[in-house]
Amino acid sequence: MSRRGLARSIAAFASLFVLGSCATEAPQDTWQPKGPNAQMIDDLQRPVFAVAGIIGIIVFVVVVYVIWRYKDRGQPIPEQTHGKPALEITLTIIPALILAVVGVFTVRVIFDLARTDDTELVINVTGQQWWWEYDYPTQNEWGITQPIITSGQLVMPVGTKVLLRETSRDVIHSYWIPALNGKRDAVPGRIHTLRLEADEPGIYAGQCTEFCGLSHANMRMEAVALSKDDFAKWVANQQAAYQAPAEGTLAKEGESVFLNQCVRCHQVDGLKRADGTLAIAAPDENVWSGAAPNLTKFMTRNTFAGAMFDLLRDACRDDVWKAESAEFGEKYLAGVGEACLNVADLRAWLRNAPAEKPMYANPTLLTETNGKYRGMPNLGLSESDIDKLVAYLLTLR
Amino acid sequence: MFKVGSKLFLGLTGFAAVNLVAYLVFVERLAIGGVALSIVFAALVGLTAAVLIVNEGDDEAQPRDNALTRASMWPLVTVLGLVLFVLGLVVAQVYFVLAIVVVLAALAEWMVQAWSESASDDPAHNESARRRVLHPIEFPVIAMLGLGVIIFSFSRIMLAISKSAGAVVFMVVAAIVLLVGTIFAVRPALKSALVGGICVIGALGIVAGGIAGTGAGLREELVEAAEEGHYTHRECGAEKSKYFDKKAMKTLSLRSNVAAVIELRDGRLSADVYGFSGPQEVISVPRANPVTFIFRNYDDAERRMVATLGTAMAAAAPAEGGKDAHDGKNETCTQLIPNGAEQALTITYNKPSIAQEEPFTLRVPGVDGQSIEVFVP
Repeated sequence: MSRRGLARSIAAFASLFVLGSCATEAPQDTWQPKGPNAQMIDDLQRPVFAVAGIIGIIVFVVVVYVIWRYKDRGQPIPEQTHGKPALEITLTIIPALILAVVGVFTVRVIFDLARTDDTELVINVTGQQWWWEYDYPTQNEWGITQPIITSGQLVMPVGTKVLLRETSRDVIHSYWIPALNGKRDAVPGRIHTLRLEADEPGIYAGQCTEFCGLSHANMRMEAVALSKDDFAKWVANQQAAYQAPAEGTLAKEGESVFLNQCVRCHQVDGLKRADGTLAIAAPDENVWSGAAPNLTKFMTRNTFAGAMFDLLRDACRDDVWKAESAEFGEKYLAGVGEACLNVADLRAWLRNAPAEKPMYANPTLLTETNGKYRGMPNLGLSESDIDKLVAYLLTLR
Repeated sequence: MFKVGSKLFLGLTGFAAVNLVAYLVFVERLAIGGVALSIVFAALVGLTAAVLIVNEGDDEAQPRDNALTRASMWPLVTVLGLVLFVLGLVVAQVYFVLAIVVVLAALAEWMVQAWSESASDDPAHNESARRRVLHPIEFPVIAMLGLGVIIFSFSRIMLAISKSAGAVVFMVVAAIVLLVGTIFAVRPALKSALVGGICVIGALGIVAGGIAGTGAGLREELVEAAEEGHYTHRECGAEKSKYFDKKAMKTLSLRSNVAAVIELRDGRLSADVYGFSGPQEVISVPRANPVTFIFRNYDDAERRMVATLGTAMAAAAPAEGGKDAHDGKNETCTQLIPNGAEQALTITYNKPSIAQEEPFTLRVPGVDGQSIEVFVP
């Protein structure tokens, strides 16, 4: 490549980087805080970034100048001098002072972010390959009279200091909703806490940020902030009793398919077998992590498969995501109806889940996982069974 | 190019390669055995390459002189290793493994010695060549073995004497080591023979103490504890053990991981859950994940905490290793602990609360009408 070509290529790449930083629709942008915790981090990182950037530019310019000015042109080697105590001390003290100032503010922010004594709502968060489970312990002041369990989307009230108690069932994961706070590792056997608070209703995207296996990149999460009134409605609906599909409907047939196939791992609270006994899922016997998403109110969520896929069609999804604050709650609480259901992705998932998301769920490899799946296996469902299941899942609202 | 040594190493490398492939194909993939055989193979490839590069340190045209060959103890050691090998097959695996180590080490020493003796006509040079190859291996191995013997001997002493005497012995030994080390450091002119002698006497003293400690056996309470198996039993019946390690329950890691701290104080049972401002009556814990509770007793009487595990859980198969097996009972518990003590209890709830006829609870026998409900979603 000629020099001119090389220069053009470098300029093109540099332009791409610059243009990339101008993206406005970037839900995981760390520079767009949407809550006081993320704001604290932002208030710290901007001046630090500015100072580091200025120093970086100075160093870069000096290095480039020295390389260019003193490059080997056959001139004699100049006199070599060693030891300039005044300069060395100055160059030690200045960075030390800068780091000390940064350190003071950083430590203060760290302590502020670690507070738990002002918590208003506690949510347990459990990570496993490759999805997040949320359970809401009993908290009468929020109307949570019996614990709620859900997955994929963390639902929380706005303007509320929410404390996540994180852990993991298998490997280390890391919970990160950039718009609401920094990262916190979810470690097996440990409980780590993370504060979240959102200023406005909306959906805030996140991503597992600790490499956790095949589908780490697909282990996503969304925090949904609702007004307190809307949150109360959401809580009430989550605690509402199970409504079995009407007899003779496709959904009722889907319930049978669910009982035969899915209930081995997925719990639907209140679902009963034909003999009237409660159907109890046994993910501990079938899944490596010991858990599978509870699907009790499946269609009140907007995502599935570890928030990798949307349950809503694109137009409906945009309608919810881009809703004004005042309308957001109503649109979100509407859940997923038949008209808005992303049937294509859901059917593809039910048809052959490992083909849609890399998972360690090949039956021929089960000897190496002690007979258990990492992720959802291919259940070999017929198209007819898939029709019935989709109809049934649509009733879980 | 290929002489005796290189042919030997090439043969060994080929043998290791066949072993590795056979293991991976017929035994198991991704197992520790495959890793070990891969390392052996890689090491032999490296040794073969080294032997070929240095041409065995030999000149083909140079006449051999049998007078340069010294007496070697390695054939004898190899034979002893082989005897141990056969003995290990009959008696115990530990001798078998030890025999393999002895035979491999003896063969390596033997081969390097034989190689070095044909390096040149100068015995001093040959010995130097042997040392250059083997000392980087021999010294660390001998040092490791020596340290192992001393540590093992010291542990025998500590297990034989009482806890309080153990603390004194530990402090005295540490002080002596510090003092002697300081003298060595400030007096660098001390003769090396004197330094070596002091170190040898110290080491021999510890080894002799270790032998005496082994002869005396474990201190009484450890013998009782071993007989009672109190490290494993979790029975909620009559207390079997007088001893339990209270301090082990105060480790930082355990404290940072508790699902809840259960306290019995003034006759009231309460649950403190991190993140909640007040005591909780219901604790929500994740399913199929180990959770740890800490029980603190502030009652005058000795108390234990009992966790009721529900009917479905008792009926379920125990998890791997049987760690969640509770001998068919649907409860597990801490041991009796006195006023002011605490103990941890780790439980994995594999089944949800809705699968139970009765809720999961934490209670304290003798404190009637009070329990903490554990909800498993």
